[in-house]
Amino acid sequence: MNVDRTRVVALAITFCLSRVTVAIAADTVSSHDADYDYDPPVAGSYALPVIKVAPDGAIIDSDSKSLDLRQLTHGRITVLSFIYTRCAAPKACPYAAGVLSQLHTLSANDKELATNMRLISLSFDPDYDTPQRLAEYSEAMREQKSGCEWQFVTAKSHAALESILRSYGQAVDQRSNPNDPQGPLYHILRVFLIDRAGRVRNIYSSATLDPRLVLADVKSLLLEEKKPSTR
Amino acid sequence: MNMKMCLNTALFMAKVSNTVFVCVLASTLVSAVNNTRADETCSSPYLARIEGQEEFVYVWTLGVEGLGDSSDKLVTVDVKPGSPNYGKVISSTSVGGRNEAHHGGFTDDRRQLWLAGLENSRVFIFDVHADPAKPRHVKTIDNFAGATGGAIGPHGAYALPGRVLIPCLSNEKDHGGRTALVEYSNDGNYIATHWLPTKDDPRGAANPNFADGYGYDARVLPRKNALLTSSFTGLNNYMMDFAKLTADPEAMKHFGSTMVMWDFHARQPKKVFEVPGAPLEIRWAWGDNHNYAFTATALTSKLWLVYQDDHGDWQAKEVATVGDVKGGVLPVDISLSADDKTLFVDCFGDGKCRVFDVSDPQKPKQIYEKPIGRQVNMVSQSWDGKRLYFTSSLLARWDKKGEDNEQFVRAYTWNGKELKPSFDLDFTALKLGRPHHMLFGATKLGANRVVASVP
Repeated sequence: MNVDRTRVVALAITFCLSRVTVAIAADTVSSHDADYDYDPPVAGSYALPVIKVAPDGAIIDSDSKSLDLRQLTHGRITVLSFIYTRCAAPKACPYAAGVLSQLHTLSANDKELATNMRLISLSFDPDYDTPQRLAEYSEAMREQKSGCEWQFVTAKSHAALESILRSYGQAVDQRSNPNDPQGPLYHILRVFLIDRAGRVRNIYSSATLDPRLVLADVKSLLLEEKKPSTR
Repeated sequence: MNMKMCLNTALFMAKVSNTVFVCVLASTLVSAVNNTRADETCSSPYLARIEGQEEFVYVWTLGVEGLGDSSDKLVTVDVKPGSPNYGKVISSTSVGGRNEAHHGGFTDDRRQLWLAGLENSRVFIFDVHADPAKPRHVKTIDNFAGATGGAIGPHGAYALPGRVLIPCLSNEKDHGGRTALVEYSNDGNYIATHWLPTKDDPRGAANPNFADGYGYDARVLPRKNALLTSSFTGLNNYMMDFAKLTADPEAMKHFGSTMVMWDFHARQPKKVFEVPGAPLEIRWAWGDNHNYAFTATALTSKLWLVYQDDHGDWQAKEVATVGDVKGGVLPVDISLSADDKTLFVDCFGDGKCRVFDVSDPQKPKQIYEKPIGRQVNMVSQSWDGKRLYFTSSLLARWDKKGEDNEQFVRAYTWNGKELKPSFDLDFTALKLGRPHHMLFGATKLGANRVVASVP
């Protein structure tokens, strides 16, 4: 390990330690932390009303394959996170990627999650986040080779991107300083929970993207599916 | 985020750019020790933040019959330092008719401003993104009662991720105080209604015997997953002439005397607190370990504290007297400074702003008072605590009569010891109406963000 790499790793460890985060493990009760200092509600004990139908759009995946977004928002319970890989805002994309990684890791040891949950990281920076770069990012994010499906995609064109962002209500603006330390784009963090029928059931921001809540919500939808009389 | 994941993220970032990665670290460490958020202190914690100083004050204004166009309107005041129009009205957009304009709020991305009318339950949605200096009316929700299952009297809008929470004051069935919290998506589509707990339908809340089902304000402390609501009165009362109301003992029985703590994520009421005298505005403290909120009770003129005790249980207690109820002090709006040390309390009856040192939230001490006008209602404070803006109108039928019916927006600076006037806008002379709720606007959000189209 050369000096630069050692320095990077040291900084990474400092970075991790500076962000006190909630650790979750399958079927275990996690401790509180400074950002999420409460006991999450029990899965299935509350309702997740339908917010809207998850919008569609033309996308391309990390294998350069063209898709309709609706192909990925149906058939499984989906956690969709809008990101861009150059984001350096600590409670935005890096944090969201970490939460999705935790869910992915959990699913490696949970057959129900592995077969019923899908994760999507959708970049709104298609010029930089090419399929090749998304593939590299995907490789860096996955702790487990097994686990649920995790797609890394971006819009197929600028026009498709604008349509997707508008329909999901994902605000993105260019910063006046393209060299801003937090990245060239300003955005609010938006992560969507989408049910198997393609309906948005929750929307998370930095303040609510508690991995315990997301997990409880996913499991709530799974429990809901087992009750034929509901919805 | 576990350690391995952190390393993966960090190493990917380092691969992308060592500079970017170091900036992540720097941003993280800086954000941990230096709260750089700007904005109005009482706004939703989910709201995109203004960078630096507010540039506009949006004033949701009740129309007055025979004054100007007689309609409710959104008035924009320029408060940008150095602007040739500083302290002047730079735009005014009428919504047509009078709706008992009252409170409003932004969507979390701050692109829309939702403004509610208490009388007919219309909600007017303005685009404040395309041109923050000139908001544009883009949509009206005019089927509120039908969509929500009978909730009426929408009392503003509180930004949640991708949606707004609208606490209501009344119900369609009897126009009394039994009411609900309502959720709409940022698209303007109805999502859900959550009725406040009552004695007969406590919905699992503790202390059900106190539950009156009334509503007013609703605010969240995210890190505690805590949603707190307060209570006022129904349409029968808030649309009644004030003198007639206070002379009617039966009507005066129908005011809220509760606050409710909810599990925010589950939207389930957990505990009802008995807080007599119509607890109105809720102000959560901002400090990382400050697990408490203030409210003021209009009819009993007290400050109350809702706080988490040593066992982690939420409690409510009276902590100070604002003024003499018989003297008509009537505390209405309150504003807590971003450092949680100073609480500004507007009192409608005597038109004064009273300032309390709340460094010890259990023992507030009044340190200053200033007459703002013959009547005063709302107060909005900048994040740095240096600028405060006041409006005069409470409700169309509750405002004072004759010469006492001053209608203004007045700005002051606060130096920690006294309020000094900055500008004064006479909304009657300007033929605008009765100014009520104020919200801050800006062209810059977040760090160095400029309003621009999607790339």
